[in-house]
Amino acid sequence: MLESLRQNENQLTIVLSLLIGALVGLVIVAFILLTGRLAARMYPAGGAGWHRILVPTLGSLGTGYLLWRYFPLARGSGIPQTKFALFVNEGRISFRTVLGKFFCCSASLATGIALGREGPSAHIGAGLASVIARRLGLSQDRVKALVPVGCSAALAAAFNTPIAGVLFSLEEVMGDLHASVLGTAVLSSATSWMVLHLVLGDDPLFHVSGYRLVHPSELGIYAVLGIIGGLGSVCFVKLLLGLRAWFMRLPKWSVWLQPAIGGLSVGVMGYFVPEVMGVGYNYVEKVLNGDLVLQVVVLLAVLKIVATAVSYSSGNAGGIFGPSLFIGAMMGGAVGSVAHHFLPDYTAGPGAYALVGMGTAFAGIVRTPMTSVIMIFEMTRDYTIIVPLMISNLIAFFISQRLQREPIYEALAHQDGVHLPTPESRSDHGRTRVSQVMRGAPVLLAAATSVKSAIDLVKDHHVIDGTNAVPLDAWPVAEGRELLGMIQDSQLKQAASDGEAAKTLAELGDSGFRHHRPEAKDFPHVHPDHTLSLALERMGTTKLHVLPVVSRANVRQLLGIVVLEDVLAAYGVGRSSAAQEYNE
Amino acid sequence: MPRQTLLSGTSFLGTFVLIFIALVILFATDTFLVRIERAEDRTEASRLLAEGREMMQGGRYPEAAERFKDAISIERDNRDYRLALANALLAGKNFTEAETALNEILQKDSTDGDANLAMARVLAGEKKIPEGISFYHRAIYGRWRADAAQNRLKVRFELVDLLARQNAKEQLLAELLPLQSEASADLPTETRIGELFLSAGSPARAADTFRDILHRDPRNTDAYAGLGEAEFARGNYQLARADFLNASRLKPDDGAVRLRLELCDQIMSLDPTRRGLASSERYQRSLKLVSLALDELNPCLKTPAPAAATELADAAHKALKARVGELRQSAATDTNLDLSEQLWRARATDCGSSTPTSENPLALVLAKIAQ
Repeated sequence: MLESLRQNENQLTIVLSLLIGALVGLVIVAFILLTGRLAARMYPAGGAGWHRILVPTLGSLGTGYLLWRYFPLARGSGIPQTKFALFVNEGRISFRTVLGKFFCCSASLATGIALGREGPSAHIGAGLASVIARRLGLSQDRVKALVPVGCSAALAAAFNTPIAGVLFSLEEVMGDLHASVLGTAVLSSATSWMVLHLVLGDDPLFHVSGYRLVHPSELGIYAVLGIIGGLGSVCFVKLLLGLRAWFMRLPKWSVWLQPAIGGLSVGVMGYFVPEVMGVGYNYVEKVLNGDLVLQVVVLLAVLKIVATAVSYSSGNAGGIFGPSLFIGAMMGGAVGSVAHHFLPDYTAGPGAYALVGMGTAFAGIVRTPMTSVIMIFEMTRDYTIIVPLMISNLIAFFISQRLQREPIYEALAHQDGVHLPTPESRSDHGRTRVSQVMRGAPVLLAAATSVKSAIDLVKDHHVIDGTNAVPLDAWPVAEGRELLGMIQDSQLKQAASDGEAAKTLAELGDSGFRHHRPEAKDFPHVHPDHTLSLALERMGTTKLHVLPVVSRANVRQLLGIVVLEDVLAAYGVGRSSAAQEYNE
Repeated sequence: MPRQTLLSGTSFLGTFVLIFIALVILFATDTFLVRIERAEDRTEASRLLAEGREMMQGGRYPEAAERFKDAISIERDNRDYRLALANALLAGKNFTEAETALNEILQKDSTDGDANLAMARVLAGEKKIPEGISFYHRAIYGRWRADAAQNRLKVRFELVDLLARQNAKEQLLAELLPLQSEASADLPTETRIGELFLSAGSPARAADTFRDILHRDPRNTDAYAGLGEAEFARGNYQLARADFLNASRLKPDDGAVRLRLELCDQIMSLDPTRRGLASSERYQRSLKLVSLALDELNPCLKTPAPAAATELADAAHKALKARVGELRQSAATDTNLDLSEQLWRARATDCGSSTPTSENPLALVLAKIAQ
């Protein structure tokens, strides 16, 4: 069986997706449990206040040293690092980084650093997938394809959100919701989620009493929440990036000490307001159930923004997903408290706004609106609030996009001197369609035409590329109005030299039409809505410089042709050099 | 790409073996960590529960509720924590949240006796009496974890107390009858039941109950007082006086009994229908009743009074001034009693007077005469 797996990469990928899902699920559960138990020991009930200053300071000092000395790639959230591995480093994430991320992050969060566990989980998951794939000697493409698979599994386990885990991997990490890894990502995510349930049981991350839209006019207040959430997100991102830039300007030798500044800052804040420390999901649940008063939620929103920005920018290990949810819940709780105070008959309680606020901040900070909607739904299992959530999310997303052009993960990578491809740039790349460079066929050879006549017919035809006339090397052949295939110039000449000049093109049959088969699947063609990259790929596969563009409704209906020179010109590549490279 | 770059068969197998070993180790680790976590969580939640209970005893209900909420966030499915939370919220008069907390318990087990009782209290607190009564019944017939019989009895007593407060006499009587058969035969319980029969407007049953007690405990002051009240309610003021006197002898410093005794004396001194009175005495008492009734009506006459009331007052003045011979005293007594009743009624209908009648000797005597 293993041998057959070895011989079939598709099967192997499926099996690996399941195994990675299970493995990552178990690792993330261990990560969450370990962090929780460590935190319980660091802050026993009734502990003295000064503990809250000392523990994060010493903790971040220790982890700071470890990160600097042994695990330099395990700093921060893990999402930019995962993207870096995927787009720059051929999917390579070392086992050392995975270990560093696991232990440093666990220690860091347990000491009360105001960061989240989900980003690091994604990095750990992606890292494990990368390690396994490379150990098996899979190709770079396969390694890269398994990185988002590990990432999905990790997020599914960390947030208990299998769908959002997949969506995030596609929307943020891959930057393409239609990525080909969708199937394997779903498999691993589902496996990881099952493992999570097997070990921890069936509990959503947050327990929320069912909220609903009380009055249609309430949507206006949710829109206001979207605006406030968007502005709050921008403040957070700008503060984090600004502080990080400041820390990066400090002398190099101080890198290992810098996390302690974050730890001390959080400790001082935590001395007065303990709720600001750590992941803080229990307080998120409180605000979701309307158990915190207005003054407290406002204070917590502000302090968490500062605490997370300082913790992250100073180089501690931990993510910003969790804090985004915390900040959003507090902002939402504040808006909801005010709205409910003034319009009690037209508004739901503050908890409903806190719930929507979570998604709003996530959409504003992480900039994945689809993921945030699904994630909130999965985390709370509350469907009724989904419309306000979508409205609020989109408003926050657009405000954040407008006021902070660069998404946070790209900006963080930029600060490190890494230029990751943005989702926009990736989709722009593949956005040019065949229809934009398609030409009419200069000659349509009838199947009844003799080889000699065909040679005569095509010899003066060419296409104009700029100022140059480029001869075509293949021609469409039709029977009546039905396209049969393409015949290459070289094939015509070969037939003539073989003494078959009098034969008709139809008589050349398969030996003449290399791709002339009745089945549409073997018929080399493109459709007008295909991307140029696909056309280029098909040209490479079929060794044709010219492809027929056919109708989707009838593949035998010729709409035009697409020529290699035109495709290259659309990419801005010179004809001669490109043609030369291609021919080589 | 490069299938040839895949590991050789042995290393390939080795990697899978490693993955499986890792899965097994991780599963064991996770299970171990989960066990530790659950144990620690349970301890922490119990600590919070104990803290909350202490706060409840100190009357710090909102703080106690916070502790219970924290405990619930740790052990979400623990029914005791939710019940404690509901009781803290109820004690703090936060009825809406208490109802929410109880609904969560009742959704899982609608027969939970404690939760139904707490819900009944919440609804009673919200003045939703019919709904509250319904939950009291659910609690009575619900499932109790310990001392089911005792708890059911307690709930029934609580329900009858509520009904007594609401003056829902018929419902109260309906609850008391099964309660009488269920309750243990201890004297305090029976005394309480007797008192409740009185509240339910069933003095005969109350009297039987108190007599039964006195049969077993002839020196029971409360039973004498209760029996006195029962006889008083039945209009047997002489018997009531005797019972109050017995109670007063057994417990001379009981002011309430003394007051009831005095009231009986007043009534008896006014009552013209008592057997054995001479006709002149009956006549004098009838005049006294007219005089007292006129005193009750007089405040109405200060303002522009209805003509009927003024006429009645004039008639009363005439009756009080009239000199009646011995032979006509019997007829005059009847006329006076009739007049005093009319004066009493006019006080209520024409003047809208709302003087309480239950402690008023005149009202009680007139009520007895009317019977």
